[in-house]
Parts: sequence; C-alpha cells; structure tokens
Amino acid sequence: MNPPASHLTPTRHWKDIPQQVSPRAMSSEGRRRVLRHAVKTIGLGLTVAALAWGAYGVVSALPDSSGKMPGSVKSAPLHDLVLVTDGVLDQPWLARTLAVPKGASLMELDLFQLRGRLLASGQVRTANLTRNFPATLAVTLAERMPVARLQVQAGPDDRLTLLVARDGVVYEGVGYDPKMVETLPWLAGVTLSRQGGVIQPIAGMAAVSDLLAKAKLEAEHLYAGWRRVSLERLASDGEIAVFTQDGLTVTFGTNEDFFRQLANLDAILDAARAHPEKALREINLAVGGQVPVAFAPAATDPVAAPPSRTPASSPRPLFTGLHRN
Amino acid sequence: MSSRPLFIGAVEIGTSKITTLVGEYNGRELAIIGHGECSSRGVIKGAVVDYKAASECTHSALEQAERDAGERIEVVFLAQTGGHLEGFYNEAAVNVKAADNMIDATDIRTVSDLAKAKELPAGRMVVHHIRRPFRVDGRLVPGTPENLVGQRLDVGYWTVHGQEQRLADNIHVIRGFNLEVRELVLSSLASGHMITTPEDRQHGVLAIDLGAGTTDYVLYRDGSPHTTGVVPVGGSHLTNDLSIGLRLTESQAEKLKLRFGRATVQARDKADKVWLDGNFSIGDRQFPRQAIEQITAARTWELLEVVKKKLGSSFSPETCAAGVVLTGGTAKLAGIAETAAKVFGVPAHLGETPSWVAENLRDPGNNTALGLLYYGVSAQHERAPTARRRGGFLANVKRLFASS
Repeated sequence: MNPPASHLTPTRHWKDIPQQVSPRAMSSEGRRRVLRHAVKTIGLGLTVAALAWGAYGVVSALPDSSGKMPGSVKSAPLHDLVLVTDGVLDQPWLARTLAVPKGASLMELDLFQLRGRLLASGQVRTANLTRNFPATLAVTLAERMPVARLQVQAGPDDRLTLLVARDGVVYEGVGYDPKMVETLPWLAGVTLSRQGGVIQPIAGMAAVSDLLAKAKLEAEHLYAGWRRVSLERLASDGEIAVFTQDGLTVTFGTNEDFFRQLANLDAILDAARAHPEKALREINLAVGGQVPVAFAPAATDPVAAPPSRTPASSPRPLFTGLHRN
Repeated sequence: MSSRPLFIGAVEIGTSKITTLVGEYNGRELAIIGHGECSSRGVIKGAVVDYKAASECTHSALEQAERDAGERIEVVFLAQTGGHLEGFYNEAAVNVKAADNMIDATDIRTVSDLAKAKELPAGRMVVHHIRRPFRVDGRLVPGTPENLVGQRLDVGYWTVHGQEQRLADNIHVIRGFNLEVRELVLSSLASGHMITTPEDRQHGVLAIDLGAGTTDYVLYRDGSPHTTGVVPVGGSHLTNDLSIGLRLTESQAEKLKLRFGRATVQARDKADKVWLDGNFSIGDRQFPRQAIEQITAARTWELLEVVKKKLGSSFSPETCAAGVVLTGGTAKLAGIAETAAKVFGVPAHLGETPSWVAENLRDPGNNTALGLLYYGVSAQHERAPTARRRGGFLANVKRLFASS
C-alpha cells in the first residue's frame, strides 16, 4: 500500500525565507527605488481616485431618474376583485366566472385564461384585466345589450329563453331586470346553428336592431305593441315582419329608411282609427310609396265576402300617393 | 504570450567578482541587454561575511548593469554557492493505483512527494529538488510516465540544501536594492547548463566550475543532473599557496599565478626563472618557474581529486562518456584540462560559451550568470505546470530551450 502523501511533513524551502528588509539594511539606491515605487504607487492611487471622483461627478450630473421609479412590490395572495362594467353583471357573477383558487398570488394568475372565461359568456363584449399590486385584480367589462329575445327547445320539456344582441350574438342574459326583458320582442323565422357548442350569431340582426331602436326611440307607442319580429324573409326579400299584440302584421323593407316607414305606419294607423269598423290585418311598408294594407274580415257581417288569401294582392290601397319626400 | 517584456537580473555573488546580467524576455526570446561587474568584497568562499561591503559592490554591479541595459531590473535570479551547500539522494516507489495499471498524475504526484519528503536537519533549507528520471517496473523513462502501463513507479530526487542564514544573507543583499529574488539557482547547475550540450548530458558529463573561492560541480547522467556538489576550494587557494610557498603578498602571488601558473609541470630546468613584475622596478625579483608550476599543479591536482572523491561511486568513466568540461576563472589555468583528464580518466576540455553569446560576454567567468538566466526560467517553468498548459511566459521559455 502506498503511504499517504498528504501526511508528509513539507520540507522548508528557500522561498520560506521572508524577503522583507528594513530600510536601514538598504543601500542608498535601494532606498531610492523604494521611494520611487512609493511615489509611483501614490501617484497611481491619486490618479485612480481622481478618475473615480470624475466619474462620480459625471454620474451625479446626469438627470436622476431613480426617484421616479416605483419601488418593487412583492406579490401577495389575491385579496380584492374590482369590477367596472357598463352593464348589469355583478361581483358574485365575476367571482363565480373567474373561479380563482384561494390563496393564489397575483403573479400566479393567468390573465389570458381568466379573460377567456369572461368572454365565454356572450354577454361580455370586451374584458380587461389589470393587476394592481399588491393584491387586487381589476376587471373592466363592456357588455352587450339585448335587442330581442328568442325561445329555444333545450330539452323535451325544457324551453330556454335567450337574448339577442345587436351584433346577432345569442346569449343567456344574466342580471337583467325581468320587466325590461318582458318588453323585448320575440324573434321568429330564424334558424340557429351551433359551432363548437356555441350558438353562432344571427345574420342581419344589425338591420333588425336599427328598426327596433328607431321604433323605440321615435315611436314608442307603436313599439310597445310589437310582440314578434320575423326574419323569415329578411335574407331573401329584405323584409322584416313585425307582429303586434293587436294581430296586425307590419312588413318593413330594409332598403327603405326605417324612420320614413315608421312615419308612414303611424299615419296609416291614425287614419285607420277614423274607421273603427274596419280592423287592419296587414300593412306592407316594403314596397315604396304605395302601401298595401289588408283589413280583417268584419265579424258582424256573416254574409260578407271572405277576405282574400293573398293579402299582398288583394288589399286595396287606403292611402295612396303618400309621399313624404 | 506576454506582450510586455520582463527584465530579469542574473546575479552571481562570487568570491573574486560579482557579475550581473540583464535579460529581456519579450515573449519569444531572451536577450541579454546589460552587463555589470564589480570586484567582490565581503564575500569569502561564496558566503557573505560582510553585509555592508557585499551589498555595496553587488548594488554597484546592479546599477552598472541597469545603466548598460537602459532598463530597470524587475526580478532577480540569484546564483548560490558555498561550502554550506550539501546534497543527498532520496528515492521512493509507489504501486500504481489504477486497475488497468495505467499511471496517472496522482501516482506521479504521490511518488514525487514521497521522494522529496525527507526531513532536513534544523536550520537547513532546500535549495533544489533535482529529479532523476522515472522508472516504471525498473525501466528508465526519460520523460513523464503518465499513461504508461506498469505496476511500480520509482523516482529519485537529488536534494540540495543549505544553511538558512547563509541563504538569507544572499537574498537580503539583493532585497537591499529593493528587488525580489524570484529564483535561487545552484551555480554549478547554471554554468553546467551553459557549457554542456543536451547530447553531453544524455551520455553523461561532469561539469566543473572552478571559481576563486569554491569549486562547483555537477554530474549529468541520462540527460539530467545526477549529483551536485561544492568544494570550498578555488583559485584563491592556489594564490594563497603561492603566497606562502614563495613568501609573497596575495596580490603578488595572484599576479604570478595568472602569468606563470600551470596545472601541469612543464618547466624542466630548475634554473629557469621569471620576474615578478618584469618592469625592472625597485623590489622586482625572480622566482623559479618550476616552483610556481609545481605549487599550482599540485594544488589543482589535489582540488580535482577532492571533487572525484566527493563524487564517489556516482562517477565512473563508463557513465561519463562525454568526459569532463571545465569552466570558471581558474579554468583559464594552463594545462588544467590535461590534469582533469588524468585525474578522472576521461577526456576533458574547457567549456565553450555558445556561439550566440556576444563577444564581450564570452569569458568562462560569465558562464554562471549566463546560465542563471536560462536555467532559472526553465526551473520556474517546471514548478508551474499549469502555466505551461496555458501557454504562458514559461511555456515559451521552455520552447526556447527545446529548440536550442
């Protein structure tokens, strides 16, 4: 076995001799060299110090932006959820939808994922999430407003009422006042399609919304009686049929100005009130200046001829030559 | 590679003179750019006995060399001689650790540490550890045994050690000039490196540096130093013998030695006399030439016999095929090679300074200082293998040696 070399006592080497020597033992030239070395060292030290001082001066002269920088803040577990919205959604809905795990710190939150959860509800049009350190998550929402409602068959005995926004998005409304929802007309004549489990927006809703909005704004007395809006002939003929609570069917054309058509309708209805014995059954505002109307058959005259089966061809014009422009 | 040159001072504090050379190493080659010399005072047989006197003349030689070079010396390589220097041989062996018997760096380090670990008497310090070639299972390995396969690794070191106070005295003389002693080199190794060739050293050669106060020798075998030694007898003893034998002053005896001294007796006529001064001045007188030659020859023979005796069994004509090479101031004595050949029984000749050395430095007395510069940097290199791997200063010096 080899002896361990590490246990050997090191022999003393000439390099162990200290090389310090007192100035007294030096020759005059040796002392001069020491002095020269000392002067050089001091000079070098002074130069370095001067450079450092100069650098410090330059740095000090530069505009100090450090004061404007906020100090770093440590992330803490999420404590507050702040909701700012232009609609009806509330804090519990937000907490329920985000479903943030308890004790999760602000920095742990995946804002992109949370935003996705919010947008999954059709009621939310845009969502902005902001971390406010140390423990607040601020959520700003822009909500869709319903312009109509529709009923779908969710199950054999289950009917579900959905709301439709101006952009055609169909969604389950949350937080709306039921009285407000009751005022919305029903949509008819639409076929809903799903893609990836999501109901696709209804095409042409912009025109319907314009009509409804204008009616609500300009002729609320008319709008109050509208119960159903049919889009059955919207795509093919550009016509929107509105069914009122009085059994009247009003057909609007999307190629004509809705304001003018509403005014026409108002005038026709005013004129019709002068003949209460004749109940209006159908008004077609989509054909231009000539407005065909149809009357309901008189219930009190059993011998009277039955009304025509084709209202568009049979009604005779009540107001002819009505031109607003 | 170093871009800034390093100015190295090689200092030999001898008994008769102090020699200083300034070498400039610029990363590729070592050039001698300065030379200073001063008659020695305060030094007897290589040892400083008068610090102040020795310092003054050493510093004078250093200043002269710096003036000659036009540069300031940064570090010093110092030659070391004196009767206090002794050497011994110690060897060690280890069994190779690896299962496949391949020798690794750890084995080499272990065996080297063991071979160098012999304790020294109190007050003694190591000057050199001179490694002899490794042996793997008894087989001589000229280079490193790393990655060779064998079961047993042997190595021996010739350790040169000296008295602490004597070494410190020499170092402090240099420190008095505010210079760091970077390397301490045995005088015999320095001069031997200059006057022998790698082939000589491979075949075996004995280099003898005959100085004024001491005679340093180194025996090379298998390409590396095998034995070194110092005999505290030199040319000054010849002068002293002449002084006593012929009843002369030291200076008169020195004059006669230089003019008529010989290592062999050539004069057959007892009546053949020589003048002390030869200028017919008052006090000038005649001495028998044969007497002068007999005194110097006898002393020289005796001196060489002492060297041979000290070498003992290390020296044999069979292991010293390249013979004896002589240098130093006393080697200028006529017929000394002839005497050496007779004493050692091998061919002998005076060492020649390499041809690339400048003419003004080609004196046997400068060989030690010249060798200091070259041997000193190579010794540093051997102690710093990492520097070699990094291709630094010392690696370049080693390459310089390899090519020379």
